[in-house]
Order: sequence, then structure tokens, then C-alpha cells
Amino acid sequence: MLEETIFIIIGLISMISVLFVALAIVSKDLLKAIMFSAVQSTLYAFLLFLLMAPDIVLVYIAISVGLLPLISIVLIKKVGRYEKA
Amino acid sequence: MKKHREMIFDILLIVIILLVLIPTLLGGIGPLPPREIRPLAKAYLNSTLNIYNKDLWTASPEAVAAIVWDYRGLDTFYETIVFYTAIVSCLILYREILGKRDISKGEGLSIVVKRVTAISLLGILVVGASTVLHGMLTPGGGFQGGAIMAVAPVIAIVVFSRLLVDTSRLSYSKVVTFRNLAILGIALTALIPIILNFGNAFIFQNQYKRSINFSYPAHILDVPMGGSLWFLNLFEGLAVLMAFYLAFNIILYSEEVSKEVILGEEYGY
Repeated sequence: MLEETIFIIIGLISMISVLFVALAIVSKDLLKAIMFSAVQSTLYAFLLFLLMAPDIVLVYIAISVGLLPLISIVLIKKVGRYEKA
Repeated sequence: MKKHREMIFDILLIVIILLVLIPTLLGGIGPLPPREIRPLAKAYLNSTLNIYNKDLWTASPEAVAAIVWDYRGLDTFYETIVFYTAIVSCLILYREILGKRDISKGEGLSIVVKRVTAISLLGILVVGASTVLHGMLTPGGGFQGGAIMAVAPVIAIVVFSRLLVDTSRLSYSKVVTFRNLAILGIALTALIPIILNFGNAFIFQNQYKRSINFSYPAHILDVPMGGSLWFLNLFEGLAVLMAFYLAFNIILYSEEVSKEVILGEEYGY
């Protein structure tokens, strides 16, 4: 029973993360796109935790929620926040 | 035209999800692994914390750290060197402005953000440090802890402005020195058993082997120390922290300064 519950949670998280990936691609405001991709990374970190890979979670959180959005924000500060239609 | 594109995008997304979902639901990924402990896992567990047969153990209850830094230590060392070299080449590109003061006199964000950040910075550093220092007991280790700790200086630069780096005593050359010392520490931890046994030991040797009487501390006050794992994690954590600090230090220079590097060609030097 526990195993099935965990699998259902994994499925739900995967589906929600797909939604955020789509939002990040569609969004014309690049700052919002970075936020969406950070949310997706958080969900992936949770997914990795449920798949029993805590070593990966620790480094994934720091890199993909902390450092990667920061590099991207520095980048869009230089190239402009809005994507041209 | 735009509507069509959006519609195609949506349909493609749904098709991709279904393509992944349906085979997964139908068991297309094959049978799930058996529930009992497999022979490979047994072999790993026997060589990590095996108090009954200490001939080949690593004295660490954390199997991943034990594998990564003990009998696959050379692999990890090469990975560390690859990361080290990558950051060095990144620094070489910006060699003209390294260690320079930034021209902007930013004041950082508001006092509220500064106070909140000051408190959370301490938390980030503590979590990172505990991940590094408990790497032989709990999941995590040098790289993970180093990456967590590296978030702290980056946030500090953003919130308190770059003036913090220019006025702090942790100058560019000091950070580079610390980083090199950390790499040297990893190499020395690997070589000390060989030096002390006059060549008659293994590289990255952790606990004593038959006929080779050298081991790093397996326990300190009842806490399993994992022998050399603790030292290797510590040095790796420091090296990663310093590497990320240097990389972000360059990225967060204001544009006027970092442009000097790119404009070099046009001025003919």
C-alpha cells in the first residue's frame, strides 16, 4: 500500500512539473520563466528524494534552486527582461 | 499564425506526456527489481561497515561516501581536478580584472532584506558545514556541502552589494591560496599512508590492510569517523566552496569592468 501511494505521489509531482516546464517555455517574461523553472527543480528534488537518492537531492537543491537561477538572473539583467514577440 | 503555433505546442506536449505515461503504466520499463538484498548490494555493504570482518571495511556507515572516497577515490580525485581546472580556465579568461575593485558604489538592498539575509546566511553555512562534516554518517559529503555553502557568499554579494567583497579581508589571492591548499590536502590525505610506510601501502588507503599497519581514525568518542573520508570530505567541501565563490565573484562584476576583457581585441592589445 505504501509503495503504491509513493508511486502515485511520484506521478502527480511529475505531471505538475511538466506544467511548470510548459509555463517556463511559454512565458515571455524571462524572470517569471526562471521562477517557473526553479519551481520545477524543487519538484524534481522532491522526486529524487522519493526515489531514495538523498545524496543527489542535496547537491541538486543547491545548484538548481540556488546557483542556476542566480546565473540566469544575472544574464537577463544584461540582455533584458522581456522576450520580443 | 500565433494561435496555431500555441495549439501545436500544446498538442505536442500532450503527445509527449502520453508517450511516456502509457508504456510506464503498462509496465513497459520491465519487471521491478526484487525486494531482497541483491548480491551486488551485499558486496558493497560488506566492505563499508562490517564490524565482523575489518579486513576490507571503510569504517563508514554511509555506503555512497565510502565508495566514492575509498576504493573509488582516484575517480573522485580526477573529478575534483576537472572541476579545479574548469574554474582555473574560467579565471584565466578574466585575468586582467581579477582582484580589481569594482567601480560601482552600490548600497545593496533595503535594511529589512539585509537583516533577514544576515540571519539566513548563518543557517545556510551551518547546514553546508554539517553536510560536509557528517558526510561519513548521513547522505551528502564534500561536493554537496560545498555547493550548499557556496550559496551563502553569492546571496551576500547580491544583497550587500559588491562593496562587501572589496572591503572584506578575504582577498582574491587568499581565496586562490585556500583553494590550492584544499586540493593539496586531498592529495596529502591520499599519500600519507604511502609516505609513512615507505612506499608499502595503497594510494587512498583508509583502514589497515593485511600486513600494512596504517589506518586513519575509525572512531572518535564512539562516533564512526570513516577514517580518511572525514578529511577528504572537509578538503573537498572547502575546494568547492572557494571555486564557486571565485566563479560568482567574476560573474557579478559590474558591466563596465567586465567589458574591459571583451574590448581588449578592438584596442589592439
